[in-house]
Amino acid sequence: MGIVHGDQMILNIGPQHPSTHGVLRLEVKTDGEIVSEVKPYLGYLHRCFEKHCENVTYEQVVPYTDRCDYLAAMNSNFGYVVAMEELMEIKVPERVDYIRVIMGELNRVASHLLALGVYGLDVGAFTPFLYMLRDRERILDMFEYTCGARLLYNYMWVGGVSHDLPKDFVQICLDFLDYFEPQISEYNELLTYNKIFIERTADVGVLPADVAVSFGVTGPNLRGSGVKWDVRKDEPYSIYDRFDFDVPTGTGEFGTVGDCFDRYWVRMLEVKESVKILRQALKDIPDGDVHQAIPKKIRPPKGSVYRRTESPRGDLGYYIVSDGTPVATRLKMRSPAFTALSVLDEISRGWMISDVIAILGSLDIVLGEIDR
Amino acid sequence: MSKYFTNIYDTVSTLWTGMQITWRHMMNIKRDNVTLQYPEERWPRPERNIGFEHVDYNVIRSRLHVDIDDCIGCKKCERACPVNCIKIDTIKAPNRGEDIPEIKHTGITSNDTSKAMVVSRFTIDMSECCYCNLCTYPCPEDCIFMVGGPNNEKHNIDYEFSEFDRNDLIYQFSKSITPEQKEALQPPKKPEVKA
Repeated sequence: MGIVHGDQMILNIGPQHPSTHGVLRLEVKTDGEIVSEVKPYLGYLHRCFEKHCENVTYEQVVPYTDRCDYLAAMNSNFGYVVAMEELMEIKVPERVDYIRVIMGELNRVASHLLALGVYGLDVGAFTPFLYMLRDRERILDMFEYTCGARLLYNYMWVGGVSHDLPKDFVQICLDFLDYFEPQISEYNELLTYNKIFIERTADVGVLPADVAVSFGVTGPNLRGSGVKWDVRKDEPYSIYDRFDFDVPTGTGEFGTVGDCFDRYWVRMLEVKESVKILRQALKDIPDGDVHQAIPKKIRPPKGSVYRRTESPRGDLGYYIVSDGTPVATRLKMRSPAFTALSVLDEISRGWMISDVIAILGSLDIVLGEIDR
Repeated sequence: MSKYFTNIYDTVSTLWTGMQITWRHMMNIKRDNVTLQYPEERWPRPERNIGFEHVDYNVIRSRLHVDIDDCIGCKKCERACPVNCIKIDTIKAPNRGEDIPEIKHTGITSNDTSKAMVVSRFTIDMSECCYCNLCTYPCPEDCIFMVGGPNNEKHNIDYEFSEFDRNDLIYQFSKSITPEQKEALQPPKKPEVKA
């Protein structure tokens, strides 16, 4: 933290603080109410994910990946199984691909709904939070209907998925989308175009595109800065190249490009794009056996693989080194929330303490993924 | 000076009014407007319905249950568990597929498999369980399962696992077996060959 002068003060925020979105400690150097330095302290939620993965078999890693990004566990599973299938050169049945995309996009909607709702909570709007959690609940109910769990699914396996879709799932999902699409404009009326919300977020915490790229920020935070980069579009995995969707970027609608409002707004637009993908996937989903390609014993050949996927928070990469045994030699997870947090100090200097909370909320971090 | 006494009077009188309300509530306690003494009494469990029929669920992840009469002691579930919360000990049965009435061991499972092993210990530590459901898939006899959902007829859905003692969370599924009975099941030792 360096030298603290007479009129400066060091303020601890967290580890138990509702605005830090988990167990994160921020050491903030302030001059009056103006923040001159922010230093995040991590490790309160460290569970040795990578070391555990070197001691359990490949299929047992999947429940551990759930517990990294617990708000979008389907996407965590997705990244791992896609990497493993690339390493083992497994071709999964078409139905499995479609089911994975449906589940991944539903989870992206659920994760973004929580991010947007909690962001409203951070800047003082309570009602949108309740509305968004109400709709997220319906998505979780659908997940429970499919795989029995509401948050930590262990649904996607190497070579397939654990259960086929239950009866009427496609119809239930379409009913949900019909209900959900008009809700988005309700959220916009309630929160997005609210004058107080715009005053709190527009022009605050501007993250320029070059800074975002040099810090390795990805996902909606990068797209909020106006960089059009989406792994689903630019480096398609699974069957994402078949779907027609746009990559929304921040335009600085009420302020500068890359401010808190843009990061919020990109997430809201992405929910719409996810709905678009879901409608296409539910229309074309073929029949088939989802357990067909699951290998009896997972024993990948010697070698390594790095595969990145687009989780709701950004580029989620898995680097897996195999030596031919049923246990990984090394497994490294590249977490998008970690890089998003690293940029916090850069963009919150010169703002007030209450704005630091707004900036931190707009980055949408999940501490389970940062500490792993 | 009078203001000083008025302040004192206001303090005491408003306090008295407040205390009156508190006492009135204390005297008129009704059965349904105080906190429930949770472990002894509890609210009735609401009917579980979020729009889907129970039988249509693929699985409901409640607690793990084992039909021990069907268990053949293959230890596949023990190996599948990522957190090692299942512990199984087996003894080789004297005669494959035969009942042993003393320890209530049945020789044939409901799938007509004759058992080669006597399961002397089958414990699941539910405080360690991560509810990943990985143990239920490799079971050849379908005897370990999460209760509820399609398994509704085998066991009711249960949600409250809380216990006063941590050791009560270790579920014992095997039949009770004394050390002497265990000793009797061990194969007879080969007579030592004298040099």
